[in-house]
Amino acid sequence: MTEHWSLHSTAGAANDPVFVGVGELKTGKFPERGFVEALTRVAIQAIKDAGMVPRDIDTILLIPNLHSAADQADLVFSRMVEELGIHGSCKSSFMVHSGGSTSDNAVRTAHGLITAGHAKNVLVLQCERWGSADLNEMITMLSKNGIPGEWELPTGIQFNAIGAMITRRYMYASGSTPEDMASICVTLRKWANLNENAMFYEKPLTIEKILSSRMVADPLHAYECPPMADGACAFVITNTENARKRGISNAVRLAGSGGCVSHYCLSQEPDQAVLGWPLAAERAFNQSGWGPQDADILEIYDSYAAVTAIALEGIGICPKGEGARWFAAGTGDPGGKLPINTNGGLLSAGHTGVGGGTALLVEGIRQLLHRAPAKRQVENCQRAIIGGTGGSYMDAQILLLERTQLGA
Amino acid sequence: MNIPKIVSDFRAGLASDELLVQTCNACGKPNMWPRYACPHCQSENLGWTRSAGQGSLHSFCVLRQGAPEGFEDDIPYAIGVVKLDEGVQLAVRLQPEGTEDWSAYQCDDRVEFVGKDGARECAVFRKSSD
Ligand SMILES: [Zn+2]
Repeated sequence: MTEHWSLHSTAGAANDPVFVGVGELKTGKFPERGFVEALTRVAIQAIKDAGMVPRDIDTILLIPNLHSAADQADLVFSRMVEELGIHGSCKSSFMVHSGGSTSDNAVRTAHGLITAGHAKNVLVLQCERWGSADLNEMITMLSKNGIPGEWELPTGIQFNAIGAMITRRYMYASGSTPEDMASICVTLRKWANLNENAMFYEKPLTIEKILSSRMVADPLHAYECPPMADGACAFVITNTENARKRGISNAVRLAGSGGCVSHYCLSQEPDQAVLGWPLAAERAFNQSGWGPQDADILEIYDSYAAVTAIALEGIGICPKGEGARWFAAGTGDPGGKLPINTNGGLLSAGHTGVGGGTALLVEGIRQLLHRAPAKRQVENCQRAIIGGTGGSYMDAQILLLERTQLGA
Repeated sequence: MNIPKIVSDFRAGLASDELLVQTCNACGKPNMWPRYACPHCQSENLGWTRSAGQGSLHSFCVLRQGAPEGFEDDIPYAIGVVKLDEGVQLAVRLQPEGTEDWSAYQCDDRVEFVGKDGARECAVFRKSSD
């Protein structure tokens, strides 16, 4: 059994951090929508959703972008302090980065700051412009980030090659068929068809269409590769005492989290069909006191179908080797037993770089706040498992979120 | 840019068709990729051992489009992850069997080191002959 790490806050305690608001712009190709423009709009949306005004925010955590090295190196987290008019009153603004799992680590950072008293109202902010960036430039950038240049760049590896190797190993280890793998993309598309903010909101997808699309990186077909998109989302976390003062009666709290950094480059991962998920799950469930059987929804990183199937198995949602067949049976579909990636995920809502995981987290918070549009709101949604992973699936990060009554 | 010695030594090995595995002179353990200090015992007294070049193919893919800049003319090409019998693993290129054909490869196949991939600073492997 794993060593027990307690959170230093409990449900209902004055310092217990709670999620109180979310914001999101449409995902897709929006070349006219500027970087700072989108950050500003989505920040205001989340602050309003939290029932706050910008001056209430004392800390901004920025999630990185991948579309531009210049935007990445710029101190945009402080620019946003100015854009929101909170210069002077804002105590702290900075960037957190762990690739696709950044949002999970941003939550841990905010949670620690709030619990310890360093922050009261934290705004976590993200914008990506992948959909409008030059595709070849992005492919080359993704052959250099998360890959050791001196050792692996000479092989010509890039992101689809990494996804393809994991997919092949997973199919080999589990005996999953190409149809099983494609069914994962179809489940995600059904959810995207219920999300007006999704890149593929109005476009249905079938197993036949996927398997007849061109081969990009064997065994991945074109429709199994993540669509690069523009997107922006944000959320606000405060402490329970402050939320009560503001008359908020229902919010979302972190019951526990667990993580495992299993490698930096994929070639050093001992088992590509397992990754860090089993250890991350053991640590998360140990901290939260509830288990995989207690979840009402799952929001698990899905830049490739196999990545999500592997995560499901590691988290204990289904037996080992059954992840893809779990999807093929319709278990995660709208109306299914355990809804998964209810915004359509990265594969169908759009891959917004580091923001893909943020969008899944925001959707989980939104579902637990019971603020999703009626057609995709999961009834009586109380508990969510959020799963994120960054780089070459270098880490597995799990957040266990639960709806909480504040009794305000 | 200065090329670190561990990189130039490894590449010099490849250039003479030797696959070198960094080996710690203090604790005797192999390290891949080569490190600046031994991750097992933190010693900086590190040397090289010539690999027997035998291993198993953990996974692989064939990239057919979307090559990074400078790799456009290589398409299609196969990248694999090989677990060497010495207990370390690395990313390699896989040699086709016939023209642009990698269909005979499967996960967990026994594979062997062939040499350096032309102008590229990486190792090439093929299915074992035995
Ligand atoms: Zn050593």
